Amino acid sequence: MPESIPAPLIIDTLKDTFREARGASAREPLGWILSVPDTHQKTVLAALDKERALRVVTCATEDEANAIGAGLWIGGEPCVLMIQHAGLYASVNTLRGVSMDGRVPMFYLIGLLSRERDREPRESRHSMVRFCSPLLNTFGVPHAIMEGPDDVHFIPEYFRLSRERRGPAAVLVGLETS
Amino acid sequence: MAMKPEDVLRAIAAARGDAICVPTMTTSPAWRTLAPDDLSIGCVGFMGGASSLGLGLALATPTRRVIVFDGDGSLLMQLGSLATIAGAAPRNLTHLLFKNGVYHTSGAQEIPGGLTVDFVTMAKGAGYRKAYAVTELDDFKRRLPSMLTDEGPLLVELHTGLADKTPMTDRSGVPFNQQVDNLRTRLTKAG
Repeated sequence: MPESIPAPLIIDTLKDTFREARGASAREPLGWILSVPDTHQKTVLAALDKERALRVVTCATEDEANAIGAGLWIGGEPCVLMIQHAGLYASVNTLRGVSMDGRVPMFYLIGLLSRERDREPRESRHSMVRFCSPLLNTFGVPHAIMEGPDDVHFIPEYFRLSRERRGPAAVLVGLETS
Repeated sequence: MAMKPEDVLRAIAAARGDAICVPTMTTSPAWRTLAPDDLSIGCVGFMGGASSLGLGLALATPTRRVIVFDGDGSLLMQLGSLATIAGAAPRNLTHLLFKNGVYHTSGAQEIPGGLTVDFVTMAKGAGYRKAYAVTELDDFKRRLPSMLTDEGPLLVELHTGLADKTPMTDRSGVPFNQQVDNLRTRLTKAG
């Protein structure tokens, strides 16, 4: 059965991921969180409010988050986009234009809001849960789903992958964070 | 009489120093002729994204001025970026809005609201540090130095006519991914 992941574990993992990305030049802020607030990851967002090592930019849309992320990466700054499946659907043209055609590494944490604990996402009653992975597959975006605390290793792995392949990569957050 | 976009861009090219410039749509063809360097990056393939791309660049390079050459139709596609920019409050961002009231690239259809849309009021309402309109080239040239040094975010609504070329009539230029590489190399090498 999937388990909820505690916010501090995700934040510590993000910090380690950014430290690795910066290498010897690690400094604060370690990295940037570009967020379009997501109910599913609200405990992480609340905890980020108290963080000094990570800087959060709240965006009005996921389209903006993609373009801001491109500017940050071009300027040498690491970032993560925290969005929801519905925001992915809303912003696929920008994902395509910026990250795929522009070959800009972009790493997404995507909340699967309304995903049922007792069902695989592909069997969800909710289309917004069901279509996320197929959409990412259509666009050739590598992704994995975190089904519990043991899966947070996907965060650095897929962050790294986005950089190696110079494009998008995503980790889906299976259950609401705690 | 509305300003010619090419005249405005020519004045910026002469004054920008090492500022990063982010043209989009009808400013792109003229700008790549006037400033064929790797400190510019055109918003190509994701219309409406210039202001956000500029914000990301401004946050990443706080000691360098970033100038966005936005369009009125383009900004309307991501109007929320005004609030996002104001919230992030980059002091080094100058947001120039080339206002002509139409989607010039796609055939000059009128934008919603046409020329009556007041972007100055919207930018102020969103929380920009400063916003004003400029209608005359001489006034633009006179105020340009402060546009490039005043604390941002700053929006200037420029009342312009139509550019001679659009991205559809002049398809030359470096592909977006190459522009990304060129600018990133330039910025990260600069340390």
